[in-house]
Amino acid sequence: MSRFFATGSDSESEESSSADEITPKATGTTFSKHIVCCPLRFRFEELTNIIKTIRNAMKIRDMSKCLEEFEQLYRAFLKSKTIVDKEGVPQFYIRLLADLEDYLNQLWEDKEGKKKMNKNNAKALSTLRQKIRKYNKDFETEIVSYKEVLNCSPNDEESESEEDEESEDWGSDSVDSGGESEDNEGAAASLAVVFLKKYVCFNLELLSLFLFDGFKRKRHKKMEQVDEEADEEGEGEEGGWEKVKGGVPLVKEKPKMFAKGTEINNAVVIKKLNEILQARGKKGTDRSAQIELFHALAGISNENNLGEGILVKIKFNIIASLYDYNTNLAAFMKAEMWKKCLECIDELLDILFENSNIFIGENIAEDSENLAISDQPFRVRGCILTLVERMDEEFTKIMQNTDPHSQEYVDNLKDEGRVCGIIDRLLQYLESKGSTEEVCRVYLRRIMHTYYKFDYKAHRRSLGLQGETKSEQDQEESEGEDSAIIMDRLCKFIYAKDRTDRIRTCAILCHIYHHALHSRWYQARDLMLMSHLQDNIQHADPPVQILYNRTMVQLGICAFRQGMIKDAHNALLDIQSSGRAKELLGQGLLMRNMQERNAEQEKIEKRRQVPFHMHINLELLECVYLVSAMLLEIPYMAAHEFDARRRMISKQFHHQLRVGERQPLLGPPESMREHVVAASKAMKMGDWRTCHSFIINEKMNSKVWDLFPETQRVREMLVRKIQEESLRTYLFTYSSVYDSISMATLSEMFELELPTVHSIISKMIINEELMASLDQPTQTVVMHRTEPTSLQNMTLQLAEKLGGLVENNERVFDLKQGVYGGYFNRDQKGGYQQRQNYQRGGYRNQNQSSY
Amino acid sequence: GDRLNGFENGKTQLLCLCVRLQVVLKIIKHYQEEGQGSEVVQGVLLGLVVEDRLEITNCFPFPQHTEDDVDFDEVQYQMEMMRSLRHVNIDHLHVGWYQSTYYGSFVSRALLDSQFSYQHAIEESVVLIYDPIKTAQGSLCLKAYRLTPKLMEICKEKDFSPEALKKACIGYEHMLEEVPIVIKNSHLINVLLLDLQEKSTVADKHELLNLSSSNHLEKSLQLLMDRVDGMSQEIVKYNTYCRNLTKQQQQKQQYLQRRQQENTQRQSRGEPPLPEEDINKMFKPPQAPPRMDTLLIAGQVNNYCQNIKAFTSQNLGKLFMAEALQGHSS
Repeated sequence: MSRFFATGSDSESEESSSADEITPKATGTTFSKHIVCCPLRFRFEELTNIIKTIRNAMKIRDMSKCLEEFEQLYRAFLKSKTIVDKEGVPQFYIRLLADLEDYLNQLWEDKEGKKKMNKNNAKALSTLRQKIRKYNKDFETEIVSYKEVLNCSPNDEESESEEDEESEDWGSDSVDSGGESEDNEGAAASLAVVFLKKYVCFNLELLSLFLFDGFKRKRHKKMEQVDEEADEEGEGEEGGWEKVKGGVPLVKEKPKMFAKGTEINNAVVIKKLNEILQARGKKGTDRSAQIELFHALAGISNENNLGEGILVKIKFNIIASLYDYNTNLAAFMKAEMWKKCLECIDELLDILFENSNIFIGENIAEDSENLAISDQPFRVRGCILTLVERMDEEFTKIMQNTDPHSQEYVDNLKDEGRVCGIIDRLLQYLESKGSTEEVCRVYLRRIMHTYYKFDYKAHRRSLGLQGETKSEQDQEESEGEDSAIIMDRLCKFIYAKDRTDRIRTCAILCHIYHHALHSRWYQARDLMLMSHLQDNIQHADPPVQILYNRTMVQLGICAFRQGMIKDAHNALLDIQSSGRAKELLGQGLLMRNMQERNAEQEKIEKRRQVPFHMHINLELLECVYLVSAMLLEIPYMAAHEFDARRRMISKQFHHQLRVGERQPLLGPPESMREHVVAASKAMKMGDWRTCHSFIINEKMNSKVWDLFPETQRVREMLVRKIQEESLRTYLFTYSSVYDSISMATLSEMFELELPTVHSIISKMIINEELMASLDQPTQTVVMHRTEPTSLQNMTLQLAEKLGGLVENNERVFDLKQGVYGGYFNRDQKGGYQQRQNYQRGGYRNQNQSSY
Repeated sequence: GDRLNGFENGKTQLLCLCVRLQVVLKIIKHYQEEGQGSEVVQGVLLGLVVEDRLEITNCFPFPQHTEDDVDFDEVQYQMEMMRSLRHVNIDHLHVGWYQSTYYGSFVSRALLDSQFSYQHAIEESVVLIYDPIKTAQGSLCLKAYRLTPKLMEICKEKDFSPEALKKACIGYEHMLEEVPIVIKNSHLINVLLLDLQEKSTVADKHELLNLSSSNHLEKSLQLLMDRVDGMSQEIVKYNTYCRNLTKQQQQKQQYLQRRQQENTQRQSRGEPPLPEEDINKMFKPPQAPPRMDTLLIAGQVNNYCQNIKAFTSQNLGKLFMAEALQGHSS
């Protein structure tokens, strides 16, 4: 008996069996006789009792009760493990498990019923369902065999003997389906029945239970049949539906639209059009069907040569309803819709170009429309510009919602060409027909699609690289104008004609961006300064602010490429110091703000995101910033080593340095930041070679520098800057050690030409950064050794503090007097503050000023 | 009984302080054994009053003990010590205390408080300040201080508000009075000293001509700077207070004016005037910052300045001397 179950039972039961053995043993000494039979009966009675309660609970759909009892049952079953191991899992137990699972699944499927259930019950249902599913896995074989019994013995409740016979039958039956070895299965089934017989007679309750079970099973069977039937019906339905679908196309719908024989003319079509339009926006309207209807109508009007007027009108409506398809503002168009939309707009433009006698406009009233073919030109209400703008927005939305690292994104991006094409065509159209306002708007669209693209063709041309035989090269060349010229033309038109501030602001920013992207630093800077945007950009709306930020960043990067480190640093300072560059550039949401904003705000912010292909590389940005900060800060730090009031040029950079210092173990740099920190350390010592090797190497090249269009030039500039700044740092740091130093040596050390070294040192001397003089005949720098000692430094600090003290004291006095600027001559007040840079130069003036 | 001999009603001025060499040596020894760096050692002075001078004949140190030594009772220890000293027939009258100092930083709240309690309990008590660093440079630096009667008054009142201090007319220079010290020995010791002087070589005194002074100055400057910072803070605090006060005064004035106008109007209408009792509740004057700390800081700063001045003038002298010597030798 136990052979089958020993293999079939799960590991859990084995584990628990060892634990359960203790109980009988403990009591076993005195009641050894009882243990053999009593616990058996006792345990099973307990089980059956619980099962009964469960069945009752099932009947009244009390799920929480069910769950409770099931847990009890489970515990009781564990307790009776020893017996089960010996005797096998009782059939009634398996039966309950199977029934319960079916019952639960049934309930689960019944959505309506679930809705009616109260909260507790519903919760209990889901927990119980999960539990039983898990639990039943342990009894899979038994349950399967039980179900087979069910299937092939609809009337097993009649008598025990029958059951017995049949059970043998299904033993053999199951061989085909179960796939288990014949012996085992058969034995299992029959033995189970024997076992049943043996215990069923223990009490009546059990018997009745079995009867009930049988009844249940019967019902179950019936239900299954019904299900099957339903399935068949469903299939039938499906077939029917498909047929309908096949028959649906336009041919069939046309007669629906117009009664047969109706003379199709303008009036009828317009009436129909209005009919369809009226349904628009209503709740039950099938939006896709509506689009179909419009198409059909277009087809009809085309067939009947009703003229372009009506066609244009219909096309407008088609496009509008395409946009309407998504009720949710956040959702984006599906690919096929998008394609359709592009086609439609293209067609519409075709028509408009072909027929110059069509007037369209928003301000044409419905009733003054002229759609019929007549001598008068067509007048159609509608605005193609709005449609195209909407299309552009949809395109942005699609790009925003596509995973930027997928092939899909690339595919979608290919549509950009079409979008640009449409905008170009519209531009041509409006240039001849539209008002200046409209022209401005469409120009801005055009600019928006141009400003962030690097014009490789123009770049190559400027480098004098022509005659490349690539076919696309030829294509590009045939395209004509440089983007710079186009930008210039469009932007200037907008500057002159635009009357809304927003378009002009955007145009200026894009123009600057474009200049900066193509390394026209001075133009970009001048434009930025002339625009005075820095003063009032905080009043602009967020998308414009994002554009502004992008422009500033691009400007900074441009300055860096040109070697204007200070400008680069200043331009990037604001964006970088906030630590939210990603957010400010609209290139992603910051996680830490998640709690602060609610879902609605998040949606709005998501809508503002810049599509991936327009992104500015954040690592590049940070690297440019950090490197320029390094080039500024390291010499400054060296020069102001003792200054108590030394100010940080870049907090961000200092932060990185501190992070680097905190590292317990310094390995070779990995990330871009670590590279910069390592380079800074090298520079601090005046070791430009190491610094150079940290800033420019394979890793940094691939991460950052190769992203620049003129990468070689930028690298050369960088090397030079590193050499110069290292020289300065070296002089600041070590000048106190030297009496004099030969410029030739310096030029050798830093691999700079002698005149450069000369000029750098001269500049330092003029700026009173370096107390030295140049000895022309010997080409040496003679140090003056006027660096203050630490005691002197301290005295200077003290003097400063005393200055502050006096000032504070004066304030108290002023208050007493009730007048500001009494007693002392307040002009002197500035004296204390002016002397911030006591350090080197200011030190001498001290004697001159009197207080 | 004999305690009050020379010191009746506290009116008698303490003109002179006679210190036995033994006391000085004990203090120095105490510091050398236990004091380190900026750590401070303290002890009790014993002696007696003779006419208008206070004679300090003996002393004993307070033992160093850590914070977690809760059982230690300082008062008990002092009593025990004095009792024991009495048994061996040594002067056991408590006449003050001594303390070492670090670069002349001793003017503090702690000193003020303890000296006040001493002087409050024992009229004639003094505090001896011993500067080990200066002493190490070759000149014994030992100074005796007492709180001035004015400061005693203020401390008794425990009112350190700006007004009270103003009324008392006290400045940092009037806080402490220095008592001249005379080191007095028995003739036998004098004889011994003279004998030792004969024997000592000049080499021992070379320290005096040491020209490297920057370290000492740097330290002093640092401390001075720290105090100046403190002073600035105090001033800012006071400044804010003053401003708040004036602002409130103005508001109060406005309020009163308005109320008066209203009342006159009411009177003309024949209504009873509004009461004026809540004015002080409505405008609680801002908490005045205690000015004692400022005074103390000023005293300390003054102290540092004196030190630095003395030190630098000495050094200048040395430099001139060195120059002269160099000129002479070359």
